[in-house]
Amino acid sequence: MADSHNTDAQKPHNPDTDGFAHEESELESHFQTKNMVINMGPSHPATHGTVRLKVELEGETIVKIDPEIGFLHRGFQKSCENVTWTQCLPYTDRLNYLSAMMNNFGFLNAVEKLIGLEIPERAQYIRVIGSELHRLTDHLTCVGATGLEMGGFAPFLYGMEARELIQDRVTELTGARLTTSFGRVGGMNRDLPEGWSEKVKKTLDRTEELLLEMDGLLTRNRIFVDRTKGTGVISAEDAIDYGWTGPALRACGVDHDLRKVQPYWVYDRFDFESVVGQHGDNYDRYLVRLEEMRQSIKIIRQALDTIPAGPIIVDDWRIALPPKPEVYGTIEGVMAHFKLVMEGIQVPPGEVYDATEASNGELGWYLVSDGRGRPYKVHVRAPGFPVLSALPHIIQGKMIADLVPTFDTINMIGGEVEQ
Amino acid sequence: MSRILTMLFAMAFIIFAVAGGVASAYLVGYLAEEYLFEGASRLTNILFLMLVFVMITATLLTLAERKWSAFMQDRVGPNRARLAIPGLSNRSLGGIPHIITDVLKMLTKEDFVPGQANRFLFNLGPILAFAPVFALFAVVPAGPSVNVFGKTVDMVVATPDFGMLYLLAIASLAVYGTSLAGWSSNNKFALLGGVRASAQMISYEVALGLSLVGLFLAFSSVQLPALVGEVGNALVSGTGQAKYLWRTDGTFDLGLPAWGIFIQPLGFIGFFVASFAETKRAPFDAPEGESEIIGYFVEYSGMKFGMFMISEFVEVVVLAGVTASLFFGGHHLPFGGEWLAAQPFFQEHGWVYGTLLGTVFWIKVILLIWVQLVIRWTFPRFRYDQIQNLGWKILLPAGLANVFISGALVLWDPSLRALGVVGLLEIGFVVALTMTTGAKAADAHDAAHGHGHDAHGHGHDAHGLPAHADAHSHSPAGAH
Repeated sequence: MADSHNTDAQKPHNPDTDGFAHEESELESHFQTKNMVINMGPSHPATHGTVRLKVELEGETIVKIDPEIGFLHRGFQKSCENVTWTQCLPYTDRLNYLSAMMNNFGFLNAVEKLIGLEIPERAQYIRVIGSELHRLTDHLTCVGATGLEMGGFAPFLYGMEARELIQDRVTELTGARLTTSFGRVGGMNRDLPEGWSEKVKKTLDRTEELLLEMDGLLTRNRIFVDRTKGTGVISAEDAIDYGWTGPALRACGVDHDLRKVQPYWVYDRFDFESVVGQHGDNYDRYLVRLEEMRQSIKIIRQALDTIPAGPIIVDDWRIALPPKPEVYGTIEGVMAHFKLVMEGIQVPPGEVYDATEASNGELGWYLVSDGRGRPYKVHVRAPGFPVLSALPHIIQGKMIADLVPTFDTINMIGGEVEQ
Repeated sequence: MSRILTMLFAMAFIIFAVAGGVASAYLVGYLAEEYLFEGASRLTNILFLMLVFVMITATLLTLAERKWSAFMQDRVGPNRARLAIPGLSNRSLGGIPHIITDVLKMLTKEDFVPGQANRFLFNLGPILAFAPVFALFAVVPAGPSVNVFGKTVDMVVATPDFGMLYLLAIASLAVYGTSLAGWSSNNKFALLGGVRASAQMISYEVALGLSLVGLFLAFSSVQLPALVGEVGNALVSGTGQAKYLWRTDGTFDLGLPAWGIFIQPLGFIGFFVASFAETKRAPFDAPEGESEIIGYFVEYSGMKFGMFMISEFVEVVVLAGVTASLFFGGHHLPFGGEWLAAQPFFQEHGWVYGTLLGTVFWIKVILLIWVQLVIRWTFPRFRYDQIQNLGWKILLPAGLANVFISGALVLWDPSLRALGVVGLLEIGFVVALTMTTGAKAADAHDAAHGHGHDAHGHGHDAHGLPAHADAHSHSPAGAH
């Protein structure tokens, strides 16, 4: 608008006719083009969760992209301030809904760190097993969806079969498919079911077969390689600047896995590798996820073989609910139960930052307690948020068809980004 | 066991149904010749070939595609719709009732027209997409011309002099339907789809036509009946693809027929890829690209959308038919054709002979449709610019080279044997290329897996990177 005032102030600026308005020569008039702005989302086949991408296109090339979040905002952090520490657990399920147990355990780990509590060894093993199972489901969904949205439906359904099997095992363990709310502060609320280990091992065998199928359908498929290799590239420096973590960062060649760098629970006892890529493109992110699933299977196998017997929750009635015979039989048990349920766990005042390696990266928790039995402040560092914020940097100037695999392999999950 | 029996029964049922259709086509053709006028069988062929065969196959394909993709993807596929007929109410019947439910759904849906759309062009879109592909089959011969009770009955609708050119011309008209649909919907996604569709179809026209020139040179004709050829007998050798490059001496003829696939493998690959791109199905479904731009028909609902879908399936059938007649010998048997034609019984009962060979043609068509379904459900989608690269940088030069090589070979050896030798070498080369890449890929695969057992590598070791390099050394021929 500004230049129309400078050049010829009489005429209003009209992009449709300006191209023909040069009076010097008609030959010089050029065809006026406008960039096309399209909305991918909030409801679009390629958006995971509900995110809106405002894409400005010049032909098929993306000139500008503006991810807009907020369609799934649920006030998670504020809601947590009004409930006891234990009651926050169901809210954490809904962060990354594909791997709820990792959110559960990450939150519990942070609370336990704030209390200064060491949980029993068996509980730590169960947490590792649960986390790795859900890392598998998350990666399976991501890799499968990558194939699906590039037009290959079969790998997605192979992934879904494996995911359903794992989901069944998760149901047997926690009682829920997606919203597990598993574990309690100080340990676990349920032990492994009878004969569960054998079933899990069978499931893992089948999962490995299905992974081979997906691998065979995608990894050396010329079209898939053409679509993913060299697209969605981000350099390691940029990835770190944006705050990337997890598989997406490792695909850039940065060997940063919290399970290795600062081992928590019993991760240091298992023989597994941190999977690192090189190019930081979609293909490397896909390969890293695929290989990480194999590593997860390895971890689960080792954990199931070496899990020790013992208690699954700390024997401290200020933190863990007393056993039912005590509640029904003794006055101390009743009182401890009542106080724990009504007032919640009395977490000492203080603040803590703790992070675990979730399926998409560093799931960080900043918790503040004022000692009243309810969180004073809960902030979660969702791994998906920095990943999504780097999307414009990656994709601007590329083709719209590259947006889809890029959006898939960075695996942004609406639930955790928008909390 | 019962499953195998069911499948065998289904196959036999399909073959007998096809044979029945072909037989009735010949007999009705005879009746028309007898009681109407000379050449009236061409008119009944419109009814039989284009309406009965192509339409029914395309309709069944809607189910076949869903069922076959389900088999490939570890699913059961459609089996929920039931017929409320006593005795059948508890049977899924292989999902066949789903065809009826699909049609009912399409017909009863609201016929939505976007407010700002150009109504005329919006309504014209599906018609323009459907009609040309429907008319394509007119020049494809679906069986031999035989003598039925003293009247000559053809199994083709039209035999214009320009033959294949008609096919190429009409096929290129279909682009108007898709681009008009994309433009008139007043939807940005649809517009993108329409633009993609027109760019893709126009650029593949060239490769499509060029890939057939070698074949035209070899048989000196552009007419499909001439390309398919006629079976020889003891005195004259066969013409077209019924001719043998080499054959055994004796009454039962066994040998290498001059099928398009043997003398023009490069042309076959080019034609199949280019016409696959014309059907706009995966891996060439960038105009639809449902996870990116949803597609040029995003604003269509009800039967108008159904027209786009069914035109896709009709294209599949037509493509299979044309490929069968151009490259797989049409209605001819790979061996024993001359022996069969010489049998007194078949010479006397022309319609039985025609039925037999017509069934052979449709079996070839069904197999080629199956190949298309397998390709459709195996590959991911190309990117828009990769499609253009494949068309202009690989198919076009390959087609040009094919024209020159074929031309020189036909000139040098009009008996086509030189062409056959080169063709077989090319087939062997492609097969070897595919096999070796597979073996190398398997090695790289093992390497990537073996790596997992190493001690934890520090820093920047890259998993599966050998696979990276290897995947890029794939030859274009190997990819198809």
